[in-house]
Amino acid sequence: MLMSDTSRHTRFLREFACHEEAIRAYVRRLVPTRCDADDIFQEIAIVLWEKLDEFRQEENFRSWAFGIARYKVLSWLRDKGRRRMVLDADVIELIAEESEREDPYLEMQRKAFDSCFDKIPAEHQQLMTAAYQPNVTIQELAATSGRTKAGFYQWLYRMRQMLLECIQRTIASEANP
Amino acid sequence: MTNQTEFQRLVQDYLEGRANADQVAQLNDRLREDAEARRLFREIMNLDSALHQASMRDANAPHPLPSLTDSSELTSSARSQNARVHPVRRWGVSILAVAATLLLAFCGLPWLMGPQQYATVEDAAGVRNLSTGDRVGREPYQIDTGTIELVTGRGARVVIEAPASFRFESEQCLRLNYGRLAADVPETAHGFTVLTSSGKAIDLGTKFGVDAPEAGEAEIHVFEGEVVAQSTDGGNLRNLRSGEAFRLQTVEGKVSAFRSAAFIQPGEVTSLDAALRAGQVERAHLATEKLRQDPSLIALLDFESSSRRPGVYRMVQGRWPGSQAAEFVNVGDHMKLDVGGDEPWPQLTLAAWVRLDHLGEPYQSLLHTDGWDDVNAGQVHWMVTRLMTMRLALRNNRLAPEASTKAGFPDSITDVSSEKGRWVHLAAVYDADEKIVRFFLNGQFDGETKLSVALPAKLGPAQIGNWNTNDRTLSGRIDEMLILGRAMDDEEVKALFESGNPYR
Repeated sequence: MLMSDTSRHTRFLREFACHEEAIRAYVRRLVPTRCDADDIFQEIAIVLWEKLDEFRQEENFRSWAFGIARYKVLSWLRDKGRRRMVLDADVIELIAEESEREDPYLEMQRKAFDSCFDKIPAEHQQLMTAAYQPNVTIQELAATSGRTKAGFYQWLYRMRQMLLECIQRTIASEANP
Repeated sequence: MTNQTEFQRLVQDYLEGRANADQVAQLNDRLREDAEARRLFREIMNLDSALHQASMRDANAPHPLPSLTDSSELTSSARSQNARVHPVRRWGVSILAVAATLLLAFCGLPWLMGPQQYATVEDAAGVRNLSTGDRVGREPYQIDTGTIELVTGRGARVVIEAPASFRFESEQCLRLNYGRLAADVPETAHGFTVLTSSGKAIDLGTKFGVDAPEAGEAEIHVFEGEVVAQSTDGGNLRNLRSGEAFRLQTVEGKVSAFRSAAFIQPGEVTSLDAALRAGQVERAHLATEKLRQDPSLIALLDFESSSRRPGVYRMVQGRWPGSQAAEFVNVGDHMKLDVGGDEPWPQLTLAAWVRLDHLGEPYQSLLHTDGWDDVNAGQVHWMVTRLMTMRLALRNNRLAPEASTKAGFPDSITDVSSEKGRWVHLAAVYDADEKIVRFFLNGQFDGETKLSVALPAKLGPAQIGNWNTNDRTLSGRIDEMLILGRAMDDEEVKALFESGNPYR
């Protein structure tokens, strides 16, 4: 067991806790499904842990992690992506690059998301989070909410569109007080 | 615009895994050529991640809390949890070994769902729906009364005081919707995390407390070691060390006053439970009823009545499961009182059960009559000093020449915080005819101060926890205050302590 090295744990946890959401979001932007994103994120977490000694204190943990994440995503694409509906590697590279530059703005968007999400009725919130649970079948969820499967997706898409508009509005209003 | 809506639809089909090969090809082309499309794509995917993380935060939250008063419901809810099969992920032994227990156990990683039982109830004092030996999994719990001590599979010891609502999300991750919690985390459980609606506390090898009120922001208090605190919205990470406290406010979070006595600590639950089993509640109740019949009774505040006394304070759990006590946190918090009228009281006994922190300097007010004037000779100020000794001052009284106390007022000798963090019984007995003040700590005689001038005590308008003239804090809880118009003898004070003692 590596239990003896408490300070290493401490250091890692500190950084990781701080940047976890951003790394998850970064990975999500590069792979097709949430499930893939989760799997890859878990692998990235382990690599970050293993390579922690290579991370220098003066470096930015987030960009260091993004670098590792990007590499992991691309190798995942090579290995497993072929059998799936994935975007081309050059497109992903492009998105990754711009995504990293735009990260502070995307983080603002995620913060604005919280207040936008709070504004939608509780039953819609519940239905949306239910749709994001790992083992959910949309078919069943649609049935319990009195919709067809297609109807449920339509609703979900509309909700996302509304949320995105709210996020954009929120940020615009913060920029011009 | 329609174009954009169509593009959004395309991206959403892709992110739901519903896009066919043609659609993916279309998306590739569009993204390769159009920077604006890429921007929108990133924002939609980013939103998807935010939604995903929100759903992880309140996984299962949509399900209403089952009422756990009936143990059959508890088992059936546990059974339905077990019935849900988690997909087994592919994990090489080497990865597990390398990642080490700590990383695997980290809250944010949902992959170590592992066993369905995360903790065992080690002790329960006055909790109706959980008892010693019960195993706790991922089902939500609500406790309305009492205090519970749990030990997780990794050995983190957690005390939760009612009223509370909580749920283990994993062995290393406890969501506290509301309630008060103290955790003692050994090295094997480093990284143990407590989530609240306003933020989280990640242990880095510590003893710490989390106070999450039903409405409002949670506070983290570090008794020993180090904790990382993070507000939900703020993202700002904050390292807290021994003796520090932090309020998890939306956005930034704020340093707040450290309180340790506010939390029931591991170990305390055992002796609380033993006292309950020994019938202490009934004993205390009988003793209180007897006191109510005492012809010299001026006031007996047990804080149980439904009508709230005026003032600024919180009601929290008292010494007994489901009982009430007043808690004072901020400077100026107080409870107003007007008892004893204009009458002179040549004999007076003051007694209270308190849980005090080492704060509230220079004085923690137990009972301060309003003002401090010559025209009100004999008015009473009862407090705990900076040295954590008791003081009973009466206006215009004078110490006897042989009195040894340095401060010029009758003071007790023993530090009342010697059992800091626990309930202690404080008593002061005044006798103007005998010209003496006697102090008692937990029923034991502590010391006495002789006076040369001893006026009859004056009561009237007063504050508990503060002085109306100059703010004083009582930092902690006060449960049951007795104001009696006669001098109790040593045996009576001892009996008063013994009948009301919440510990065994």
